[in-house]
Amino acid sequence: MATASAIPIQRNTLLSQVRGNLGPLLVFVALVALPFVIGALDGHTVSEVLVNGSGYSMFIQGLMVEVFILAVYAISYDLVLGITGLLSFGHAMFFAVGAYLTGVLLKTFKMPFVPAGWHLSVTYAGLALVVLSSLLGALARWLPPWRATVDRLSTPLVVIGLAAVIWGLFRSTVGMVIIAGVIQALLFGIVLPRVKGITFALVTLGIASVFAIMLGTRELAGYTGADVGLQGIPRPDFLNPATQRLRFYFLGLAFAVAVYLIYKRFVNSPTGRVCVAIRENENRALMLGYNTFLFKLAALTLASVTAALAGCMHAVFKPLVSPEIAGMGHTVDALLIILIGGMGTLSGAMIGAALYRLLDYYLFRWFGASAGFMLGAIYVSFVLFVPYGIVGTWRLRNLQWKQGWRKRLQALRGGGG
Amino acid sequence: MDNLAVTLRKNRTRILTLIVLLLLFIAAVRGLSTKDWIITTLRGFSVGAVTFLVAAGFSIILGLMDVLNLAHGTLFMIGAYVGWSVYVRPDTFVDLLTPLLLIAAGFLLQPLWDRILQRARLPHRVAQTWPWVGLGLGAAVLVLVMSRAPLAMWDWQSYTDSPIVWTQNFEAGNVGAMAQAARFEGLSPVIGLAGLVLAGAVISASLAGVNRRRGGPAMSGDALHIPWGSVAIAAALAAGGLLVFLANDGLTAWLLRIDTTWLFLIAIVAATLSGAGLGALMESTLIRPLYDRGIYQIMMTFGLSFVGIEIVRAIWGRQGFTMPRPSLFAGAGEGCPATDLAGWLAHKCSTIQLTIGGETTRIRTYNEVFLILVGLAVLIGVWLLIQRTRLGMVIRAGVQDSEMVQALGINVRQVFTLVFALGVAIAALGGVLAGPSSGLSNAMGEHLLLGALVALAVGGLTSYPGAAVGSVLVGLLQQFIIKYGQVGIKIPFLEQPFKPTPPLVPASTVLLMIIILVIMPHGLLGKKE
Repeated sequence: MATASAIPIQRNTLLSQVRGNLGPLLVFVALVALPFVIGALDGHTVSEVLVNGSGYSMFIQGLMVEVFILAVYAISYDLVLGITGLLSFGHAMFFAVGAYLTGVLLKTFKMPFVPAGWHLSVTYAGLALVVLSSLLGALARWLPPWRATVDRLSTPLVVIGLAAVIWGLFRSTVGMVIIAGVIQALLFGIVLPRVKGITFALVTLGIASVFAIMLGTRELAGYTGADVGLQGIPRPDFLNPATQRLRFYFLGLAFAVAVYLIYKRFVNSPTGRVCVAIRENENRALMLGYNTFLFKLAALTLASVTAALAGCMHAVFKPLVSPEIAGMGHTVDALLIILIGGMGTLSGAMIGAALYRLLDYYLFRWFGASAGFMLGAIYVSFVLFVPYGIVGTWRLRNLQWKQGWRKRLQALRGGGG
Repeated sequence: MDNLAVTLRKNRTRILTLIVLLLLFIAAVRGLSTKDWIITTLRGFSVGAVTFLVAAGFSIILGLMDVLNLAHGTLFMIGAYVGWSVYVRPDTFVDLLTPLLLIAAGFLLQPLWDRILQRARLPHRVAQTWPWVGLGLGAAVLVLVMSRAPLAMWDWQSYTDSPIVWTQNFEAGNVGAMAQAARFEGLSPVIGLAGLVLAGAVISASLAGVNRRRGGPAMSGDALHIPWGSVAIAAALAAGGLLVFLANDGLTAWLLRIDTTWLFLIAIVAATLSGAGLGALMESTLIRPLYDRGIYQIMMTFGLSFVGIEIVRAIWGRQGFTMPRPSLFAGAGEGCPATDLAGWLAHKCSTIQLTIGGETTRIRTYNEVFLILVGLAVLIGVWLLIQRTRLGMVIRAGVQDSEMVQALGINVRQVFTLVFALGVAIAALGGVLAGPSSGLSNAMGEHLLLGALVALAVGGLTSYPGAAVGSVLVGLLQQFIIKYGQVGIKIPFLEQPFKPTPPLVPASTVLLMIIILVIMPHGLLGKKE
């Protein structure tokens, strides 16, 4: 009884929301300020950074953009493995399809990157509708008189907006990447009900390997560049990483934050809870009447589309799309990231990606050839000493500390009782 | 009759798949001339034999302890490199033997430390920290002594001293003349040897301390009882190490004098034993804490494979090199090519000439005869071990339900270590055997691991006969595709024959795996759980 009353009743106010997410908010603010701080440390003013005049700041921005792309890619793998519990070894294919499709469409088929003309207007209108109606839905809490009306209206409005966005995007590279993401998730969906566990991992590994081998064949070299990789992708002017680095940085940041928020919402939604239930015990979820296949497919589709979009960004940012991103090694990258960060903890994937990319870069800079050895040793010691990843272990410790304090307080208050 | 019908109906997918595979094989055979398909089949079996050596250990480890050992390919590669070192540089091998035996002697005292630690009641804080201090001290002593220990090595950074040049010297028979005896530098040999034993003992005691700190299971009953057996073995090892040290020059000269076939045999034994030692060490220190954290084992073994590749690069360099064939398979002079097996053994030919259907062809004795024979021998040997011994019984029971085995009072931990050592030893054996046929490189492990994974998935992940069948299937498929890449497949309505390109070789095996897994999720011979 005492413990039940000890838990404070949470009021869902803006202030409590801010207080509850203080850490992520601080990180967000720090990331917004980062290019300017680095520029200032390098002796450049804000306006110089704004016109991409600070070399070192630009370099750090580039590194951080890679971190954002990697973070989005890793978080999508976390949704598949950490949340839904599907061990897939073919995740690199999701990313590589996005990257290669972007490259081929821009280079060979000269398709516009984002919709042009009135397609663009439709897309913007749809986007505005989605944002407005979700905002309205969020604000409805504080508008008691119209709450029911707004609640009833907001969902169809979001759907209409989304439909408009998709229709508008259709004749553009980004739209094709999204469609490709859905299609490849459906491809995995074909084998999904047949094979489970480690066999699913092997089949997905197989599908991804066949794709990776296809990328390397000489017959398709005109499109993919075979072993060398895809070079000379024409970048859209407004997003050229050479001239518009700061814009790219903020786009990457916004993309990562948006994906993180959407994923958090997904995991806390009824659909996401069923996914967690499937991870914990699929047979029980099945017995409770959930069609687990559909839920797994939903998670897979969301992850696939996200990873494909991350790949699309990778293709625009990097001067060379190498076939290595389709290999098993790239899937293992994602696996290592979420194991470092903490499996099934979304934010762990973001932290893990930052640590992974920066560690990789600085180790190679400081230790040169022996960096691989250091990396391997770090993984091994991570497994031994940070058993549940950074976020997972931290949460566990935090809980233990809190429980320890509560016990001590109770002992103080209650004396012997 | 009824039983037969039921069995047929239950296994109809499996039987149908096997029939389709057989038909495909016959179709592939009919497209080639007699000589070609026999050679291709033999090559397929040869590749299959090497793949099997990796797949077998992988499958037993996966079946018994659910560990997906991604470092298996790296261990295969390490086996190859160790075999090369023993084979091409026997002097280095003899030099290394002393420290290895002495350190191992220190390590074998572990049961003694366990007992002593159980008796000793250390204060909590001391018990928490001393193992780490001990590990550091032991490592420091080891580095100090080993940096001055007598060790004649190669140096990949200078071309004239690189493994490539040493291999050429070996083929020319110059190693004996070039090998220089090494001595302790600036360190009394007595102190050096004692330091090695001490380092081994301190490290093993610290590891025991770490285990106790983690709350390893307390041993029951007579804690004071001194394990005389392990003490005696440790003393024997130490004595052996001293003996090797004293007889160093003589032993080196003898190894350089004997026939390369015998030297190769010694290399095989040394590589296999080092694989077993490495496997046991890896399981008992790194894998054991992770048995209940499935996915983290993948991270651990993957990290270890990184570390292994980097160690190989640091010692043997990044450049690949070859391993000369032993004399039994290298002859080309009088009486060669031989016409039958007896002729080969008499003249030690590298090839055997066969006349099939009026055409003559040559098969290589090492690749197409020896490798297949060794593969078969290991297949039968391990099968006998699994089916006919008590250890095998425990392994089979453990694959089915390891908790139950534990409940029946069998020390599963020990069996796990043994099986891990066995699996890695077979992989290391595969590595040293693959050396002369395909050369040594940093990437050989990864390539073979993928092949072995595909073979296992095709045959049934934890099924031992499945590993054999899958390996042979993968080997055959690869070789037939390569052969058809030269000959071309005639497809109706097409002017030119279709020639599979090299990327199709891995793609075809992977496709085979996907198709078989989608039809039969448990593989060809795997059992349903």
